[in-house]
Amino acid sequence: MSEFHDDYPSYEHMAHHSEEEGKKTRKTLWRVFWYMLAITIFELVIGSMAPAQGWSGTLGLKVLFIGLTILKAGFIVMAFMHLGHEVTFFKYVVLVPYAIFMSYTIFIVLDEGVYSGHAENRTKVDPILIKQQEDLKSGHGHHEAAGAEHGAAHAEEAHH
Amino acid sequence: MSHSTEIDSKHAWDGGQSPFRISYGKMMMWFFLISDALTFGGLLTSYGFIRHKYADVWPKAENVFTHFPFVEQHLPLAYVGLMTFILIMSSVTMVLAVEAGHRNDKKKVIVWMFWTIVGGATFVGSQAWEWYHFIVGTDTGALRHVWSQELHTYVEETVYGANMTVNEYGVPQFANYFFFITGFHGFHVFSGVVINFIIFLNVLKGTYEKRGHYEMVEKVGLYWHFVDLVWVFVFTFFYLL
Repeated sequence: MSEFHDDYPSYEHMAHHSEEEGKKTRKTLWRVFWYMLAITIFELVIGSMAPAQGWSGTLGLKVLFIGLTILKAGFIVMAFMHLGHEVTFFKYVVLVPYAIFMSYTIFIVLDEGVYSGHAENRTKVDPILIKQQEDLKSGHGHHEAAGAEHGAAHAEEAHH
Repeated sequence: MSHSTEIDSKHAWDGGQSPFRISYGKMMMWFFLISDALTFGGLLTSYGFIRHKYADVWPKAENVFTHFPFVEQHLPLAYVGLMTFILIMSSVTMVLAVEAGHRNDKKKVIVWMFWTIVGGATFVGSQAWEWYHFIVGTDTGALRHVWSQELHTYVEETVYGANMTVNEYGVPQFANYFFFITGFHGFHVFSGVVINFIIFLNVLKGTYEKRGHYEMVEKVGLYWHFVDLVWVFVFTFFYLL
């Protein structure tokens, strides 16, 4: 079998490292953890500021949040899941098919999702939903006076 | 058939070498995770589409998830922030268990896996708590048209909380997707905790010490990080955007 041997050690060998290497690895892992914590706190702060600042639903905010999420995903996959240390070709085996399939899924939703997006088609899909949307749009929101006494009874029920 | 001294037949592949220099078990775990990631990717893409379609009547997460355990006042998104922290933390303890396994440090593997399981169980419990408050709803409720079987028409009614047909906070689609995607993710976390616990017992028994390596810890670790990875996306799409 020696002619097929790729000179790469078996799992037993590659899965072990020394105390010093371990120290270095742990340092990297904790650094990644602090990065991820900082990003999450930043996201929550921006998210809580958004309504007052009028940022809610803006394209910039969406791009920022999705970008930071992909950054966090990169940290998890590359550092925690150790993909950054696998051979280059294996990285492609994992990431490229996924990227292709997901790009296609997103493309097809954007491209073919037009039909149900048209307002006149909404009624065909689900009449009750249209009713409830009208409720929401006509301001039948929260804290209606009519709902108050029901609410008290309901709250009591919930405590039992 | 003779094998080289460095490669044994259990861990190298039958050709005498490991393709991509990775063990069979780890590679298959990666392939499973790709397929699982496609499922979540499909779910989140469809969520994004419906969310965009009903953008005008979609509830804002900071108005829905305002509760915090043992605290009376409203703290929007604080609890889910804590849940996210717990899950990221448990991912760190998992990778520290893997690292300890590389040094054959059984004691440290036990400690870090224990905390991973605690973190995972806490997360599942928190999710159940979050679901409970979402289902029960507010004290005041909201007026909605609902279908009456007897009258065969729509009647106005005060509804509380969310279920599959009505949602106090907005369109029912929000509740449908919330229950389905966080439920599917929660089930992954639950299975992860169970799998981690089984491997934890094996570590305690010394199975991997006898085997000479802690590859099983590494494999369940991959799955556990994947669960964290999915949550990062769920957190963004349900709570932030």
